[in-house]
Amino acid sequence: MLLPLAFTWSEFFQQVVFGLSIGSVYGSLALAIVLIYRTTRVVNFAQGEMAMFTTFICWSLITNHGLSFWPAFFVTLGAAFVLGVAVERIVIRPFEHASHLALILVTIALFVIFNGLAAWIWTPEQRAFVGPFSAKPFIIGGVAISRQDVGVLAVTLLTVAVLWAFFRFTKLGLAMRAAAIGPGASRLMGVRVEWMYALGWGFATVLGAVSGMMVAPSIFLSPGMMQLVLIYAFAAAVLGGIESPVGAVVGGLLLGLGTTLIGAYVPFVSSDLDVPIAFTILVLVLLFRPAGLFGRVVVRRV
Amino acid sequence: MIGLSPLRVVLYAALLAAIVALPYTTGEFRVTQFSYVGVFAIALVGLSILTGITGQISLGHGGFMAIGAYVTGILAMKYGVPELATIPLGGLVAGIVGFLFGFPALRLAGVYLALATFAFALIVPSVAIAMGEFTGGTAGILLDLPTSPVGALTPDKWLYFVTWAIAIVLFAGAVLFVNGKRGRALRAVRDNELAATSSGVSLSRYKTLAFGVSAFYAGVAGSLYAILNFIVTPGTFPVTLSILLLAGLVVGGATSLIGVIIGAIFVEFIPLYAGDVLGPVVNFLQRLQVPIDDVDPTTPGVPSVVYGVILLLVLLIAPTGLAGLPGRIGVLTKRVYSRLNVPERRANP
Amino acid sequence: MRMKVLLVTAIAAAAALLVAIPGAVARPAADPGVSARTITIGTTLPLSGSASLYARIGTGMRTYFSYINARRARDGQRGVYGRQIVLRVYDDQYNEAQTVQQTRRAVEQDRVFAMLGGLGTENQQAVRQYMNQRRVPQLYVSTGLSEFGRLYRRNPWSIGWQPDYVQEGILLGSYVRSTLPNARVAVLRQNDDYGREFVAGFTSRVGAARVVATETYPRAGGASVIPGPVARLRASGADTFLVVATPVESITALVTAYRLGWRPNKLVNSVGATPGFMAAARTSAGSADAVNGVVTTTYLKDVASPAYQNDPQVRLFKRLMEKYAPGQPTNEGLFFYGMAKADTFIQALYRAGRNPTRASLMRAAANLKIPSPWLLRGSRITTSPGSAFPIRYQRLARYNDGAFSEFGALVKTR
Repeated sequence: MLLPLAFTWSEFFQQVVFGLSIGSVYGSLALAIVLIYRTTRVVNFAQGEMAMFTTFICWSLITNHGLSFWPAFFVTLGAAFVLGVAVERIVIRPFEHASHLALILVTIALFVIFNGLAAWIWTPEQRAFVGPFSAKPFIIGGVAISRQDVGVLAVTLLTVAVLWAFFRFTKLGLAMRAAAIGPGASRLMGVRVEWMYALGWGFATVLGAVSGMMVAPSIFLSPGMMQLVLIYAFAAAVLGGIESPVGAVVGGLLLGLGTTLIGAYVPFVSSDLDVPIAFTILVLVLLFRPAGLFGRVVVRRV
Repeated sequence: MIGLSPLRVVLYAALLAAIVALPYTTGEFRVTQFSYVGVFAIALVGLSILTGITGQISLGHGGFMAIGAYVTGILAMKYGVPELATIPLGGLVAGIVGFLFGFPALRLAGVYLALATFAFALIVPSVAIAMGEFTGGTAGILLDLPTSPVGALTPDKWLYFVTWAIAIVLFAGAVLFVNGKRGRALRAVRDNELAATSSGVSLSRYKTLAFGVSAFYAGVAGSLYAILNFIVTPGTFPVTLSILLLAGLVVGGATSLIGVIIGAIFVEFIPLYAGDVLGPVVNFLQRLQVPIDDVDPTTPGVPSVVYGVILLLVLLIAPTGLAGLPGRIGVLTKRVYSRLNVPERRANP
Repeated sequence: MRMKVLLVTAIAAAAALLVAIPGAVARPAADPGVSARTITIGTTLPLSGSASLYARIGTGMRTYFSYINARRARDGQRGVYGRQIVLRVYDDQYNEAQTVQQTRRAVEQDRVFAMLGGLGTENQQAVRQYMNQRRVPQLYVSTGLSEFGRLYRRNPWSIGWQPDYVQEGILLGSYVRSTLPNARVAVLRQNDDYGREFVAGFTSRVGAARVVATETYPRAGGASVIPGPVARLRASGADTFLVVATPVESITALVTAYRLGWRPNKLVNSVGATPGFMAAARTSAGSADAVNGVVTTTYLKDVASPAYQNDPQVRLFKRLMEKYAPGQPTNEGLFFYGMAKADTFIQALYRAGRNPTRASLMRAAANLKIPSPWLLRGSRITTSPGSAFPIRYQRLARYNDGAFSEFGALVKTR
């Protein structure tokens, strides 16, 4: 017997905050995917697994090396950056001139490798991951809002904002954007295009790490934990337009909000159908507006 | 890939003999494992028609296998249809779904199609759970244990021969398809869509056909899998299997039958033996004084790491797959050979 | 060109034969799995995947067998009548198709004597017919599905061990009926036979009117499928929360309820309520309030409870854990469960005779009536072919500040 929530404003706000919070997790992973796609034209199927892997690093820092959460968080961001750069230079670079098919398969191979490595190093057992946000809710106007939800939303959006500022206001950010749009011209201007690609992967992996570390407290740390998130992130990226960073974040928020509210208020939707719904959205968007909400339509009339 | 030179005939005859002889040289479990190899070979032939020849990627063939498997499960257990008779039906239903999928495939290319097929593979188990009335929900459908109508053959041998007989027939069908008029049209589609259309090849028909045929093969493979495994559940064909199939296709080689068989062997045995591959590698590294511990090959995660690395290496060194390796070695040796033997060319560029 | 094709075919054929030949060498033994020095048994457990916490059962079993293999029994011999017990653990990833393949591997290739404690309701259902056709013991399955006891005569090679889900549901239901007569119960259950059976038992005592809301979650769904249903259950206004779920989902349900500010009476079925899981939920939620007061049913001694500190069995448990599984949390009941089950197996194996066969093992298991120091005081293992439920004594237990404490009478629920 599936009951829809009887509508009360306080429940509604709780659901909205929850939806936005999980949506921001999807959005940051989606942004990572878009970032890599824009800079290097690769769709990184391994984004989620790399995020999971870096989250395990954070866990290890906390559990085995005694760091508390925030120091471990920042160290992990650094490690994620290095990991992203390393993967791009060592694994992706040799395939620079390979076909799309080959590149997709390379990222799939990375998916499999990171998944296996995490299981090997840390065992596949599910672990509780303690987040930085206390479980006591905020009480706003008599409504209990989860501190965790607000915290996740804040951290994720802040990360996105910092990255945006970086791309907008710094020379390095400008160089990266130039390298993505016009590698030839950028080279002429002295931009080390290959390193821009590597940096793109580095920043994307950092975004993924944030996504992973924010979502882990709710879903248990295990090698498979980001697979579902990855699916939603792809849906968000496509929904927002795979070339649009704004689209990825907005797409993620919309998707998180949408699935939460539908799950709460539409009677016949059980949690069994969450993933198919996200996917049907993905497929429909791909069919009818492949450029997504914010992308440019590229006409391929043949 | 085709040609009726005497050597080829002899080779294929030898392969056939090996296939027929295998069950009599080994124990029942190994025979069943090679039946699964046959099943995956059928699925890979289908995938190769789609991917290798039309250049389109599918990360969702596990989903088509699941459709075939469920059709078999439902028809056999709820309607009493003899198991073997359900196989073409499983293929047909999967083929129809694939054909319908082919329509939107028109509008997508490359990465978007990969995502859409990935999505498809994920949706199928959830749909199976949601249609619990028919599909048994999360518990799935339990089929009868394998039996053999032929006294001389134990069930494992019987199913092995059934599987490989179907595989051989379908291989032959694929070869004819690929080299017939339609096949050439499909390869034109892969090589250059614009040119193909301007020369009058109707894209939509051929792409949907490719999907349909490819899905039919996967459906047949799924039906056989259900019969062999005597159970079909939503979790039987996870996305990781679709990925493994694609990896098998790449590692084996998408454009030859030998490649498909190598790929199928990869799909069946890599999860089991990848860990054992690691042993010698670790020993080698230890001898080089690399500080690395002995690895227990049954540790979870080890097979994945090994197969991922193998996939990367194959993509790097032998993108045409292991079956294409002799070709690439040939090209390499030719290059080296020519460089060694014709130095005077360099003087006059 | 010809050489190329020839080369590739030769490689492929050689590879195929290389793989096939080791299989060919396996010669059928007269009594598979039993040799002069060893007895080999197998088990299928989810070593990976969303139920991977249950892998601890395997560690428990292995640890206990190491102990049996090393110690000298009363007849002066190590192992059982001088035979060492070899346990092979197969990972089925909680996926029934894998359970089938791994079980066949164990039986057909590795030729185990019996399968012990395979985990998962659907997983063990999937192989039951196969095991019975082959006459291989499917012993003491790690699921409480009552079929394994009720249908013993139809499937005489399969038998359960722990109190079945109906029994557990009945006991919890009786508790609610007597102490919370006006409870409004919200139920979260797995959407399979395990969930259905437990709730059926529960409702039979409580009455359907008491259950104001039910939500299901998909088996193996993982933590992410829980928050939605729990939010809906909370909104029903229920004051009692029954959780019938596997580890991760169970822990997440408790944590989510806490986070949403919901403070119902909490009832959790035993497979989701080990002290280890409670501790994990407490850590995740950041507060003991998330788990204090959880009521469950129990049939084994609680290794985390101060009441059992000096119990010889618990002390043996701790010693063995330290020796054979150092670094593992000793407050986790699943290890104890594994050891207890392994011990029941050893007892049955002794009674199967000095030269056990699969048939003699099954006969011993189906007629095992012995006290067991692993179970609650006052209870025994009682099995007969007409009532194939080895363990049927339970008590209620309440969790507070790090451990369960039993309350109420010891009840024989079948």
